[in-house]
Amino acid sequence: MRNNDRFGERSHIDDELSGSDVERDEEEQVWLPTGQSADPAQSLRIGVYICRCGGNISDVVDVERVADTVRLIPGVTTAKVHTFVCSDPGQHMISNDILEENLDRVVVASCTPFLHEQTFRGAVARSGMNPYLYEHVNIREQASWAHKHDPEGATAKAIRMIAGAVGKLRYAQPLEQIKLPNHRRALVIGGGIAGMKAATDLAARGIKVLLVETEQKLGGRLNYLGRVYPSESAAAELVTELAQRVQQDPNIEVLLGWKITAVSGFIGNFKVMAEPVDASTSSLPGVHATVGAIIMATGFRPYVPRDGEFLYRSEPCVVTLPEFVQLMRNVSPDAKTLAYKQQKIRNIGFLHCVGSRQLDGVHEPGPDGRLNTYCSRTCCTAILQQALAVRKRFPQIGVFDFHQDIRTYGRGQENYYTDASRAGVVFFRYNGEEPPTVQVTPSSRAKNGALSVVVKDALTWGRELEVDVDMVVLGTGMMPGQIEDLIEQMKLATGDDGFLQEVHPKLRPVEVAVNGVLLAGTAQGPMNISETLAAAGAAAVKAAAMFAREDVELNPYVAEVDQSLCCGEAECVTQCAYEGALKMVEMEVDGELVQRAQVNAGLCVGCGACVAVCPHRAIDLNGWRLDQFEAMVEGIAADIPGRSCESELVTIH
Amino acid sequence: MNTHVSSDFTPDAVIIGGGIAGLQSALDLADQDLQVLLVERQSSIGGHMIALSKVYPTLDCASCITTPKMSAAAHHPNITILTNTEVEGLDTRDGVHHVRLLQKPTYVNFDKCIGCRLCEYACDTEYPDPFEEGLGAVRAIAVPFTNAIPQKAVLNAEACGTCGTCARVCPTEAIEYDQQPRRLTVRTDAVVVASGFNLNAVTVKPQYNAHRSHNIISPLMLERLLAPHGPYGRVLRPSDGKMPSSIAFVQCAGSRDESIGVSYCSRVCCMYAIKQAMLLSGALPLADITLYYMDIRAFGKGYEQFFQNAKAMGINFVRGKVARIDPVEDGDLSLHVETTEDAEDPLQERRHDMVVLAQGMIPGWQPADSTPVACASDGFVATPALTAPTATTAPGIFVAGTAAGPKDIVDTIAEAGAAAMQVSQYLYQKRSSVLVA
Repeated sequence: MRNNDRFGERSHIDDELSGSDVERDEEEQVWLPTGQSADPAQSLRIGVYICRCGGNISDVVDVERVADTVRLIPGVTTAKVHTFVCSDPGQHMISNDILEENLDRVVVASCTPFLHEQTFRGAVARSGMNPYLYEHVNIREQASWAHKHDPEGATAKAIRMIAGAVGKLRYAQPLEQIKLPNHRRALVIGGGIAGMKAATDLAARGIKVLLVETEQKLGGRLNYLGRVYPSESAAAELVTELAQRVQQDPNIEVLLGWKITAVSGFIGNFKVMAEPVDASTSSLPGVHATVGAIIMATGFRPYVPRDGEFLYRSEPCVVTLPEFVQLMRNVSPDAKTLAYKQQKIRNIGFLHCVGSRQLDGVHEPGPDGRLNTYCSRTCCTAILQQALAVRKRFPQIGVFDFHQDIRTYGRGQENYYTDASRAGVVFFRYNGEEPPTVQVTPSSRAKNGALSVVVKDALTWGRELEVDVDMVVLGTGMMPGQIEDLIEQMKLATGDDGFLQEVHPKLRPVEVAVNGVLLAGTAQGPMNISETLAAAGAAAVKAAAMFAREDVELNPYVAEVDQSLCCGEAECVTQCAYEGALKMVEMEVDGELVQRAQVNAGLCVGCGACVAVCPHRAIDLNGWRLDQFEAMVEGIAADIPGRSCESELVTIH
Repeated sequence: MNTHVSSDFTPDAVIIGGGIAGLQSALDLADQDLQVLLVERQSSIGGHMIALSKVYPTLDCASCITTPKMSAAAHHPNITILTNTEVEGLDTRDGVHHVRLLQKPTYVNFDKCIGCRLCEYACDTEYPDPFEEGLGAVRAIAVPFTNAIPQKAVLNAEACGTCGTCARVCPTEAIEYDQQPRRLTVRTDAVVVASGFNLNAVTVKPQYNAHRSHNIISPLMLERLLAPHGPYGRVLRPSDGKMPSSIAFVQCAGSRDESIGVSYCSRVCCMYAIKQAMLLSGALPLADITLYYMDIRAFGKGYEQFFQNAKAMGINFVRGKVARIDPVEDGDLSLHVETTEDAEDPLQERRHDMVVLAQGMIPGWQPADSTPVACASDGFVATPALTAPTATTAPGIFVAGTAAGPKDIVDTIAEAGAAAMQVSQYLYQKRSSVLVA
């Protein structure tokens, strides 16, 4: 008999675990949930797969012992260990067992579900099993990594976590994804280069796009640039090319000078409202639209130095890089000299990392209390491009560059550095902890320039140097765009840097936690133009793939009302925080018209607030039912063969 | 997994290269219901990425990120995968690309092989394992590595002693010693070049003397040493198996150097060296780790913070160019370095017992030799279109990832998505104009 065989094995394991020989009769109680009278799953065949993660797990957790122990849980018919369960052979092993051993439930104990829950749901589905009869247990982040120095405890914890998942699975029911119609139209927020690229990419694929831009003009930040590196073509050309394609494409509808003021709904079915930015000059009514996907191409804003930061706004010739770009753009073709605010410019100092790579204790936080600890990625090359342009256009002007590291990383960018060196740009290097300062030059010495940059220069072994210049250009970086309203409306996440946060930089780099919302360009973080174009294409392709389907499929973890138990007290509706997710409807019961709660599966997020308040337990959450929670707790708290739960409380730290 | 291709198979797109760029492009096209043929010259898809230990800045294990994409591609009904297959050339006639493929013999019939590895266990001939960067050994007939796709044995004819054991133990009679190369031409409307990169040789700078010491290693070797499932299961230096106690990273050892013809920045070396330094300090808590650099280029999202964390962990960052490396007694290495830190003594000699050279990225394939795709002066595929960074000089042929210049995984994945978008709109435009005409 199978059970006897397994219990036979168990005493061997008991010896290993505790050294004591426990009576079998006692053991038989061990794994059985005590709180529930009727276990619906006596005849289940559950497969448990434990991943070594190439050593990430098995270097700490004794995975063989985990397998040997969980194999004893009633209902578990298979427990196996594999080096990478997520690999093809690992998935194949599961598929095979489902078919050959007639498994009807599967648990994989591996890394975070964030990485591989979908992988394994897919694997079991391919073998014909309902994907929601699968449970994922994270014994890497939560056991081997968290308890690296306590292998015994980590192993015990892994066993208990799996036992909990098995318990939950005993009460699991097959679920189907919720299918809803997909509105084959995308909203692109932002008409800069990212937004225009994403819009034209989708439109050229035959997908309708609504493009909303707050400015009166397409092009975004590119409208303020001169030439773009490394092609040295005019930014205006790029804007014109894309803007023409946007305006000529019948699939794209453009709203200039409009903003998005309301967003609701879900993937495939977002309801958005657009209104003119300046309501005082426009009598146009707001526009409602239904879109299937939203592409966030909201861009960045340049860092603006605080008053007095490097003498900005206190000395006229301290300017930001964007201001300097404007100055250079406006130089007349026959100008022999460069002048700014009546000052002839003979020497210029360029400062890198203004508003970027800020350090705690060195820099002053911004008004929001935040330091820009990140690198803005584009400024090094942009500065060198300007430095080189100055040297070429006005060879008599001395150009001095103050940097921590020169980050000309991209294709064609290193040339700016070598060319600038060859063109006579003089480089100084400072340590991030000791940034240079800008001072007004003492009048006795002012003939070389009214300003001086004081720097502890690493290239001359830390000597303090004063470099006199007429103008200081602050290499200002990028800041997150001001889209607090949208972030709030759409419940988007931002990172420590304030930029919009992707789900995972490699697995889902342009997606956010809200399904159907995609990131394009510098809304996500600093990027240069070609990187922005690529990111916009990557966002567009995700939208295009989504629109290749007739329906959108949503997770089935939504509330469901048992109409036979609902008494129409509406406490759940009062608790529900998601508009329209739960409402009272009139229906006929036994010839009487009564009020009953009803869930809108598209709007329900499965938070469970309604479940907690229902006095009749008439509402429950699919996939996370109360009986499943109870079984999970039973499983976790059960006595492991040979070891009571209480004894473990000491072991698990 | 679809692995069969007949000459009348006309996929919507052919992807050249099954690394992370090719996989991502293939998935993004297949998810739009387009038929994709993915061609890989190695015995497994996964490219360089599957052999890495962990990846910055999240420190996820590389296998954990790569295997799901490999597996998703292998199981996708719209993706056909040919491994051990090279592109011999490509001609475009009337807008249709004729891709000439060479399927190299594996001496194993993939239809019959069940991946049981009995042949591998029985084989008694070994050669340096390319997956382990030569640090371990692999049997002459073997499944390429644990999480390889496909899980099929491949026989290395150069290593094989032709003893016949594998054929005798194979339960499915899959071994075919007389297998011949097979040529076939596939017609398609669109192509993505995702042929990746190689590293230039560790010996590229003669003054580093890499040919004179086993302890001057490549960063890919260190990736294997650091991988939990690597050749030794821990970090040992190759010459004598000693646990290194002082490790040097020499940056820009094959890039930013006009003397070796690679004047560009390889873009990933700063970050992987920082990552490797962090992982090393975890694996060898007592070791001294020093990174010699010109500029730290931690430019991506979360990278600067990663760099600052490494500094806080006690990794030594020394700004200085290493001029020369000499092997000295006990397998150790002497580095001559000019630092910018000590005015009294800028020219220093420093001893380490293992040195990692940050080699430069160079193109993995030269498409210009056999296809209409032009390369730029840096040797990588040229991308002249301003608003379409993945378009090549040839209509209908696109490029993704490091085939178009050094790039890290994050940027590669974004670009692969962009290339897939270009392909799908190219196909849509081409086909709707045919319909109109």
